Amino acid sequence: MIVTDETIAAYVDGELADEPRAALEAQLAADASLAARVEAQRRLRSRLSAAFDPVLAEPAPRDLLALIRGEAPPATVVDLAARRKAGPTWGWPQGAAVAASLLVGVLFGAAFVRIAQPTAILSPAADGVTAAGPLARALDGQLASDQPAAAAVRVGLTFRDGDGRYCRTFATSHSGGLAGVACRAGGGWRVEASARAAPAPSGGMRTAAAETPPAVLAAVDAMIAGEPLDARQEAAARAAGWR
Amino acid sequence: MDAFQQGLVELLPRMRRLARSLCRDAAAADDLVQQASLRALSARDQWTPGTRLDSWVFTIMKRLWIDEGRSRARWTKVLAPAEEGERVADAAVSSPEQRLEAARVAEAMAALPNDQRLAVALVLVDGLSYREAAEVLEVPVGTLTSRLVRGRQALLARLEQEGIAP
Repeated sequence: MIVTDETIAAYVDGELADEPRAALEAQLAADASLAARVEAQRRLRSRLSAAFDPVLAEPAPRDLLALIRGEAPPATVVDLAARRKAGPTWGWPQGAAVAASLLVGVLFGAAFVRIAQPTAILSPAADGVTAAGPLARALDGQLASDQPAAAAVRVGLTFRDGDGRYCRTFATSHSGGLAGVACRAGGGWRVEASARAAPAPSGGMRTAAAETPPAVLAAVDAMIAGEPLDARQEAAARAAGWR
Repeated sequence: MDAFQQGLVELLPRMRRLARSLCRDAAAADDLVQQASLRALSARDQWTPGTRLDSWVFTIMKRLWIDEGRSRARWTKVLAPAEEGERVADAAVSSPEQRLEAARVAEAMAALPNDQRLAVALVLVDGLSYREAAEVLEVPVGTLTSRLVRGRQALLARLEQEGIAP
């Protein structure tokens, strides 16, 4: 009886029903070339296991675990400034992009657990994270030159990046204090970098610069093309729908 | 952490192994796992509690992986690349010969057409049954088994070419 590759595969994979399996095993004892074909398939399986099973024993990346658990980010990862000083491990500005995206990632935790709530300020999208709720509203409508002192989201710099997109820095007390920079993408705001914001001094004067962590400013440095918008340009950009 | 998050954390090792068997390099595999985790978290309402989380997440991974290949677009890097030393398993558990052979096997996998690679990864690497793998791939079982057979033949042929005895 001719045994197809499909039958041998099913046998090795434990997918053969009782009756054909018994028939195949009877034939195996008497047919060396059939036995060799089965053995080759078995070895292929074990080679694949040997190649990929070690991954199971690797610890999952901490950032990813924090993201899933909705935990506060590990503090060690957020230090972009130190990475810059540490020398040219990465080329520039690629280094900034990597580090900036790193910041976005580690900070998801806090915002993610609030996804289902109306105060969620970040929304995971297929290609990153977009601003949502009060953050999106502030980025859409709030002018740095004219915002209430008690605003929960404060907008800092507005500028254009190398692709001509409008980008705006923000600081918010939502999600345990978050600051970052978001750029216009597809009718919304994509968060390009963010970092834990230091809590604002109670009663003290707050400025956008003071609220923006060095890591975010470094990301802005790497992204900005030309000068930040002044108050008149900012108002005009808003009137034009940030296009 | 709720049951969904717990389930996802427990699934991570298998997600990472699957990704590593699909993607050409470890960095791309990490990206795939991150993207799939994000997608799973944001779409968790679509998962029916009591059904298999692994099948649901693997289907997300499959779609992301196929879309990524199609568009040739890189995903936005969402998290930091894994730090050196986080991928210690390769070096820790095997001899140089075993590592070399593992690299050959990985190359042979990477050379497979996408359909076959997915079938081999789900059944031979992850160990899903034919029926489960067919569900993840959203194809009939017969389609899955024929892809699997062709994938196996191609892998064996290539490894033999490389001097790795069948």
